[in-house]
This record gives sequence, C-alpha cells and structure tokens, in this order.
Amino acid sequence: MNQYLSIFLKSMLVDNVVLIQYLAICPFIGMTSDTGKATGMGIATTFVIILATAVTYPIYYGIMVPLKLEFLETLIFILVIAALVQLVEFYLKKSIPSLYSAMGVYLALITTNCAVLGTTLNCISKNYNYVQSLVYAAGTACGFLLALVIMSGVRERMKSSTPPKFLQGKPILFVTAGLLSLSFLGFSGLIK
Amino acid sequence: MTTVIIAVIVAFILAFVIGVLLGFFKKIFAVPVDEKAQMIRDVLPGANCGACGYPGCDGFAAACAAGEAPADGCAAGGVKTAQAVAKVLGVKVDAEDHVVVLACRGCKDNCIPRGLYNGVKNCAAAHEAVNGTKMCQWGCVGFGDCVDVCRFDALSMGDDGLPHVDTKKCTGCGMCIKACPMHLFFKVPVSRKGAVALCSNRNENKAMVLKTCKAGCIKCGKCERVCKKGAIKVTDGIPVVDYALCNSCGTCVEGCPTHVLALVENII
Repeated sequence: MNQYLSIFLKSMLVDNVVLIQYLAICPFIGMTSDTGKATGMGIATTFVIILATAVTYPIYYGIMVPLKLEFLETLIFILVIAALVQLVEFYLKKSIPSLYSAMGVYLALITTNCAVLGTTLNCISKNYNYVQSLVYAAGTACGFLLALVIMSGVRERMKSSTPPKFLQGKPILFVTAGLLSLSFLGFSGLIK
Repeated sequence: MTTVIIAVIVAFILAFVIGVLLGFFKKIFAVPVDEKAQMIRDVLPGANCGACGYPGCDGFAAACAAGEAPADGCAAGGVKTAQAVAKVLGVKVDAEDHVVVLACRGCKDNCIPRGLYNGVKNCAAAHEAVNGTKMCQWGCVGFGDCVDVCRFDALSMGDDGLPHVDTKKCTGCGMCIKACPMHLFFKVPVSRKGAVALCSNRNENKAMVLKTCKAGCIKCGKCERVCKKGAIKVTDGIPVVDYALCNSCGTCVEGCPTHVLALVENII
C-alpha cells in the first residue's frame, strides 16, 4: 500500500508531468485561459491516460515482448491511443451527449497529447507491474490536472494586472510557467 | 530479416484489428445525425460569432432544424445565408438588406451651436458632459462617433456638420446605431417606400423647437390631418408612419411646414 502511495505522490508532485518532465506544454499554455476549460481538459486527459495505460500494458507484454518487437512501442502505442480516443468519442457521443459536447474538442486534441504517450512509455521503461502502472498513470494524470488548474488560476489573476508592455501576452505566461516549475522543484527529495 | 517481417505483419494485423473495431463501434454507437441541421450548418458562415444567441453555428443549425430559431437568425450571414437556410428548411423568408438613415437634419445652418465647446472631441463625451453642443439637445452632436465605428466606409462627415450615409456601401450592420449617443440612426429595409420623419426633437413646446432648429418637428399635426390613409400618428412628439397603410403619395412631405418628412425611397 505504502509503495503505491509513494508511486502516486512521486508521479503527481515530484515528477510532475508538465512542470518537471516538460511534457504536454501545449495544453498547459493553450487550454488554461480559464479555469473551467482547464478543468475540462484535465479531467478528459486523466480519463484517457488511465485508459491508455490499462490497454497498452497488456499489448506490450502480451504481444510485443514475446515477438521481440519492443522497438515498435512508440508506433504501436500511438496507434492504440488514437484508436482508443476515437472509441471513447463514439461512446460518449452515443451515451452521454452532454459530456461529449462539453469536452468533444478536448478529446480530439488528446489523441496527439504527448503526456498520454509519455506516461504509457514511462510505465514500460520503469518496469512497473500492471497495478503499479495504473497507479502511476493515475498519479501522472492528477499531476497534469493540478498543473493546469494552478496555471489557469494564475492566469485569471493575471487578467486584472498590467505587466510591462514587452511582457504582455505569451512572454509573461512562459515566465510564470518557469516560476511554477521552479516551485515544483521544491518537492524533489520528498520521496526516494 | 525475420524480425522485420514479423514487425510488418504485427503492425498490419494490429492496424487491421483496430480498423475493424473502430468501424464496428461506429456502427454500434451511431448517432442519428439530423441531416437538416448538417445542411444548415454547411451554409452558415462558420465564424461561431454567437450573434444569433446560440452557442456557435452548430447550436444555431440544430435550433434552426428543430424549428426554434428563425431562418434569418444569422446576423453575420445577411440575406444570402438567410435565403440558403430558408431553402434547406423549405420556408420563405422576407429577409432583405438594410441601410441606416439619420433622423436629424440639424446641420450648421438649421441648428446653431449653443456655445463654444472645448471639451473632448467625441459625441459620447460631449453628450455626457454638456448634453450636446447644439441648441437642440436631441440632435446630432456632430463629432462623428458613427464615422469612426463604420467598418464599411459608408459614413462620412459632411461640410454641413452631419454624417452622410453612402447607401451603396452601408450593410445595415448597426454599429453606428450603437455608437450614436443620441440614438439618431435607424435601420430601414432597402425596398421600403413611404414617408419618414427626419427629426428626433421630442420637445412639445412649439416655440422652443422653432428657436433651436429650423428643421425641427413643431408638432403641428398637419401630416396627420393631410394623410388620406391615416398612416401617420404623432407619437411622443415625432410623426410615426405605419408602412402597412402608407402608399408613398407624398402629401405629407409637401404639407410639412419645416420639411421634417421625406420619402424614404428618395433618400436611400
């Protein structure tokens, strides 16, 4: 139990997917203009990351390792994730149309989100077992959600402030992202 | 070599399985798409501006197909889009292009300035600060806020101190209507025929109107009396024309002592 908790916290805070691993910077900058959007994107990505890990892990150890095709992991994982997102989209469109219209755009974006691919590949390279992988995926996804919500909160505060002209727009955003990343470095060493 | 062959085969099989699965699931989870909505969506501009009051073009198309939104509800598309939507829906719309008309004839000669105004040179500020710069407090302030907001180059400030509408360029977008602090602009359809009152002075005191503007409506009611169709009623100090009755005969235009009335087909 302790081990799972440490994996979860490590992947969420110490190795935060956005702020420490620098994956998924595009939604981090593009989707955080308001908190509602950021939360929607975060929850959709959480769902897809966990699902993708749950599906790619058996494919890797069931098909690719016995056939010695480990070098194809990037290709096949991308394929599987894209198909998976499509499936989820079909399902949502039919079963929960309100949720589909709420996060339909974000779902399509997640297909090419590097956080999803990165998480699935990390699970393999860290030699986790199935349960550990799922916990790791959940932690990473929560870390992504956390980073997006924090950033959107900062941006909403920034709307009512006037930075110097040369910093307005994207520059101040990147400076903010860097400071956030620095502050997350404070978690390093929390879990060995 | 065998590795390559295995890799190709595995990738092929995986892609095939995924393709079949996706096709299969698409059938299972197929949602009946409203064809009408899709067709309407195709003729809309796709700007997702939200001017119709629905969430984007998709929302408007769905509402239109369901009969909740009017066929001419797309403000950005204008007549063309309205007709295309109406064609899909199988209804008729009488949407047509509009132009704006200025309901004031208080040019420099007709309506003199009340004093020397040295404040901020725009209509909104002058209206807020000193209730306009001219004798008539209902009339055109004359700093051209409307000219500034017109994106179609249809408005220009004349030498007489009034904005002039180029009806060939005017699209009836209504930006000037919003910009004018005196609310002097109004929209008319291009095909309209009939009399229109070009004054906004609502002062009921005849002497005061005469004192402030030579071209102001003095509320004499002559237009009401001479109109054979009974199409004109002086309402809130301004002659209001009922275009269902007006046959554009021009009797009231000739009769008006201060030439407030004009035939709309002559000025647009």
